[in-house]
Amino acid sequence: MTFARGLASRVGFRATTVAAALALAVAAPTLLRAQSAEPDRIAKLDVGSSYAISLLIDSANTEGLPGRMLRLKAYEGIAKKADGRQIVAAVRRELIALRVARAQLGDVDDDELAAAAAVVEAGAKPAQLTVFRARIKNRSDLQAFTTWASLMARGVPTEDASSAISKLWQDGADDATFVSLWNNVQSDILRGLNPGTALQNRIREAPSSGRVPPSKGQPPEGQEREGSE
Amino acid sequence: MSDDAADVQRVLAGDVDAYAALVDRYYDRCARFAVRMLGNRDDAEDALQATFIRAYRALNRYQERDRFSAWLYRILVNQCRSVAARRTHRERVFVREEALLANAPDRSQGWAGEDEEFVQRVLNELDPLLREAFLLKYIEEMSYEEMSALTGVGVSALKMRAKRACDRLRERWEKIKND
Amino acid sequence: MTDSEHSSYVEWIAREARRPVVMDAGARDRLMAAVRAEPVPHRSFVSRVGNAFQRFAEPRSLTLSPARSTLLAAGLVGIGVFAGAVMTNRDGRPTAGQPPVAAVSKLPVSDTFVKFSFVAPSAKHVTLVGDFNDWDVSSTPMTRSGSVWTVVVPMTAGRHQYSYVVDGKSWSSDPNAPSAPDDGFGHTNSVKIVGRGSTS
Repeated sequence: MTFARGLASRVGFRATTVAAALALAVAAPTLLRAQSAEPDRIAKLDVGSSYAISLLIDSANTEGLPGRMLRLKAYEGIAKKADGRQIVAAVRRELIALRVARAQLGDVDDDELAAAAAVVEAGAKPAQLTVFRARIKNRSDLQAFTTWASLMARGVPTEDASSAISKLWQDGADDATFVSLWNNVQSDILRGLNPGTALQNRIREAPSSGRVPPSKGQPPEGQEREGSE
Repeated sequence: MSDDAADVQRVLAGDVDAYAALVDRYYDRCARFAVRMLGNRDDAEDALQATFIRAYRALNRYQERDRFSAWLYRILVNQCRSVAARRTHRERVFVREEALLANAPDRSQGWAGEDEEFVQRVLNELDPLLREAFLLKYIEEMSYEEMSALTGVGVSALKMRAKRACDRLRERWEKIKND
Repeated sequence: MTDSEHSSYVEWIAREARRPVVMDAGARDRLMAAVRAEPVPHRSFVSRVGNAFQRFAEPRSLTLSPARSTLLAAGLVGIGVFAGAVMTNRDGRPTAGQPPVAAVSKLPVSDTFVKFSFVAPSAKHVTLVGDFNDWDVSSTPMTRSGSVWTVVVPMTAGRHQYSYVVDGKSWSSDPNAPSAPDDGFGHTNSVKIVGRGSTS
């Protein structure tokens, strides 16, 4: 700091400003070296897979699709120790699903696009997304898509899940309804009920308002609660 | 007499089925060039059809001393240029994403040969004349002299185009890699 | 490729581009149907002459007297060689196109602290892995209390996928959370929606 004060007095700057600038100047090369010394995980894959994934990400970015999601899919595959070709296939599948979702929904944000892509990947027909195309103020389809994809992932027949979710959405169901539906069907499946039957039972219980009554009792153990700190 | 020349003679003698043999021999290779050059299968099929029909009509002018493949490729290259000139907008490389999703191959197999869209996209970004030179040289693996004979362009100009194509691909890769 | 063009990337592009291309199954049939609709081409005089010359000029085991050889040579010179090049219209014009400009979506930036809990009584260590930590298996270790492992992480608003990794090798989804579709690697992730009209 003494050096900085001396320098500051000669050039007329505050000592703290000069000290900060000096610190940054000293640290910058190290920071830059650290950044460039950390090769991207994708580059460590076999050459063909690395090229293919990079090109797929570039395709997404060029088309206005979230390339970052494809990069994350590649990181996921690497973390799960999948081989290069499997990772390329998964990344490519994700890109196709994002394209289909964009074609059906138009210009929506990345989260909605990803959630809709998951619905398509889980097996829904792309045309079934069309009812969600209209943008309604203060209404988010994120929870609807998440529940939809999850129901199919848990074994509910695609057509049953698709028509149930679409109808609820068109009847004006809110997020709580979709969350409640998912919780109830999940409990029923864990109790041994056939997934399709579990969904049909819960849908039948729902009054015409589209609201599904919440299940009785405490939420299952381990359910997260959000809070800000 | 080569098989090609023999088949040509048979066609000229009235045996149309002999032309099917020529088509079978060259269709796949021509299709690869057409798809890579034009970027999509619909346009490629148009170019291929025009090529083989023109070749059929012009069989009576085919000289046995020409290699049939070179003679055919001369027609193919020009038909691809014609089809490209007729297009007014950039085509999507692949079609039927829904079908691709529905018929996705076993994931454990990884991506297959026909999942070439990212390579095609890279090729599509090349200027058509550079792309043509790159394809003829490195995909069709022709000599520059052969390329010159079928395009009518001088050897040194073709060498320049092929080199520039490689340079562009490399530059593009540097950009992709660093994004 | 020459040294100056050598680049593993360019070689890879060329290798991939050399793979066979599969055309529509009916394409060849359509082509041959169109061919059969055409009039049969007939051998022209020019091509007959040209081909005959070609066959005549090919090496043959034929013995001629010097006089006859000379006569033959003179005859050959006397015949005009007609080279019929196929003329086709070169009306192609390069169409330079620019790739569309990428649009960038901006996610709303707000951090919410989210608690994750996972029951694994016999695990030695458990980590939380997901898109919010770039799928880094070691960056978010969880803390054990009895048989429950917990961690609180800041997360941006939006949709997140995650999973638990037990003892560094076994991937488990959250039994109490919605599932994502098959991840393409033989597992299923869980989904958490943060700060976007969600309730849990």
